[in-house]
Amino acid sequence: MTDFARRIAAASLLSLGLAGAASAESDSMIALVPGGPNPYFTAWEQAGVDAAAEFGLAASDFKVPQKWELSQQNQLLESLLSQGYNGFLIFPGDPVGSISIAEELVANDAQVIAGAGCFQDPSPAAFCLGTDTGNSAYLGMQALVKSFGEEAKGKKVAHFTGFLVDPNTQLRIDAVKKAADEAGIEIVQVIADIDAPEPAEEKINAYLAAHAGNIDGIITTAWVPSVVSANALRKIGDKRIHMVGIDHDEVVLQAVRDGFVHGTMIQNPYGQAWLGSFALDKLRSGCTVKEDAPFIANALTTKFIDSGTALIDASNVDGYVDVMREQTAKIYDGFEASYLSCN
Amino acid sequence: MTPFSRILRTDWFGPLIIVILAVVVIRAFSPQFLSPLNIQVLLLAIAVNALIAYAQMMIIAIGQMNLSVGAIGGLAAISFAGMMEVWGIPAPLAAALALLIGLLCGFVNGVMIAVTGISAFVITLATLAIYKGINLGITEAQPFYGIPANVKAFGNGSLFNLIPLIALPTLVAAVGLWFLLFRLPAGRFILAVGGNEHAAQLSGIKVGRTITLAHAISGFLAAGAGILVVARVQVGQPSIGDDWLILSFAAPVIGGAILTGGHVSVAATTLGVVIVALITQALVLFNIDPFLVQVVMGGLILVAVGINRLRETRMQALKRSV
Repeated sequence: MTDFARRIAAASLLSLGLAGAASAESDSMIALVPGGPNPYFTAWEQAGVDAAAEFGLAASDFKVPQKWELSQQNQLLESLLSQGYNGFLIFPGDPVGSISIAEELVANDAQVIAGAGCFQDPSPAAFCLGTDTGNSAYLGMQALVKSFGEEAKGKKVAHFTGFLVDPNTQLRIDAVKKAADEAGIEIVQVIADIDAPEPAEEKINAYLAAHAGNIDGIITTAWVPSVVSANALRKIGDKRIHMVGIDHDEVVLQAVRDGFVHGTMIQNPYGQAWLGSFALDKLRSGCTVKEDAPFIANALTTKFIDSGTALIDASNVDGYVDVMREQTAKIYDGFEASYLSCN
Repeated sequence: MTPFSRILRTDWFGPLIIVILAVVVIRAFSPQFLSPLNIQVLLLAIAVNALIAYAQMMIIAIGQMNLSVGAIGGLAAISFAGMMEVWGIPAPLAAALALLIGLLCGFVNGVMIAVTGISAFVITLATLAIYKGINLGITEAQPFYGIPANVKAFGNGSLFNLIPLIALPTLVAAVGLWFLLFRLPAGRFILAVGGNEHAAQLSGIKVGRTITLAHAISGFLAAGAGILVVARVQVGQPSIGDDWLILSFAAPVIGGAILTGGHVSVAATTLGVVIVALITQALVLFNIDPFLVQVVMGGLILVAVGINRLRETRMQALKRSV
């Protein structure tokens, strides 16, 4: 088990103890439901435990569908509703296809917020709390540009990304290209659909075997390509190629520590679940979403809240959990005043 | 029959010609294609994918299909990584236990098919969900990172800076399978059951036992592939095996395997894997638009199957005319 996992486990036990000691002040039973199993969502579990203890919720439980299938997620949500859960933070299995189940939940007096991914407007979700994926990719590319120093212009960069069926992938491709164009950098190749270990290994290694000498940098905007690229650079032993990855996989963080990866753009899954639990409880207690709330518009919704993103590099890699918590605290301060109207 | 015409009739001849043509064409456009590093990368992919293809080939040999190949491989992979990380079990013992888990999963598939008579498609569809569910239950979608240095060294190591160490178990498996299928009674029984189950039964072959054996071997091979992926990726990812299904069928079929059973070729299946790996590499090297990769990949696999089928048809026509 990794240090991070140990810390999480220890914190879980502590939190469970505290939660057990404190009686629930609220009858909110929150379910945190991702689209399927993915390491990205692991932080939701701890965030739910922490939020339940912090806000005196009856529960804020992490519930994972067995597969990335809309039908499985829908069945799980219906089952949770029948078990008494009354607030749902959902990563929609499909931005449009998941709307009907959200309507069903709301029709049964439950509150719904989209987390990490959004429903397509119009939807019954109060709002969408997630990473501004385009912005994160843009900032990641800018960090890569910065790592080249004054000689960034004319550098060649390869972009490795995730599933093409994910609408965020195209946003990421566009954002990376935009930042590259602004800096006079050429994106020489985009390799996509490699968010599984085997194809990622095969394609990234094949690319590097043929072109490692022709590129100056790598940007990755999906979890598995980040892990595989970090391993590949370590294997080649090439610190000439600068890389900026995404997310907080232990392999990537270790590569940052060892100097094979310049940095990684962490998202804030912890904050999504923690703030989501808080907001769902508030909505259940009679608060409403402010009409003039400062939402951001993205490709799917006009009610988007950025849960934050930050570059983790060698200077702050050992405190990345604190960075996530700081981001969360920053959004939490003034969240109620900005987004909710409570009498 | 001359030695040349005998070679011409083999299953592996067509795929071999396709491989040679593909290598020549790709090399012409990409000078780095035959660099030692790229050959190593290619062999790494082939080593793992060949075991996956063999796992399905064994089931195709008995005229069935195994949808749980990836789920068994994934379960063995996370078991291998998990046993090392959580319990500190030495890598060789963890590998042996993971192989045993694969063997057991395959055995369970085989016994259920043999005893109930329910189609292998249905049984393995159900066990796919069960094995994957156990995987997710154990990992909770969180990878195992504690891969020991000796496993990483094995995954990264090579002979003469060219042949990856993880290709060696695959080589042993290929020779072993060839020997089993074409030199041992058990292998003959497998092909006989695939060719005509009723006739095999009338000949005194224990069909149920043969089906169980084929599935157990398939599970064992899938587990081997899972272990090699862990050594290669250096992480026990719960998603290992999720996208093995298409490849597991594509390679044996490109290699001329008959889906109704009774006829498979280890060499041709291996060449089928090589063809898929070459196509995958070519798409990367030629910078194909990511949104078109699947289309081109599917099209090229169809071309490869078509060329091999054309050769077979010509050979049959030639045989009839003689």
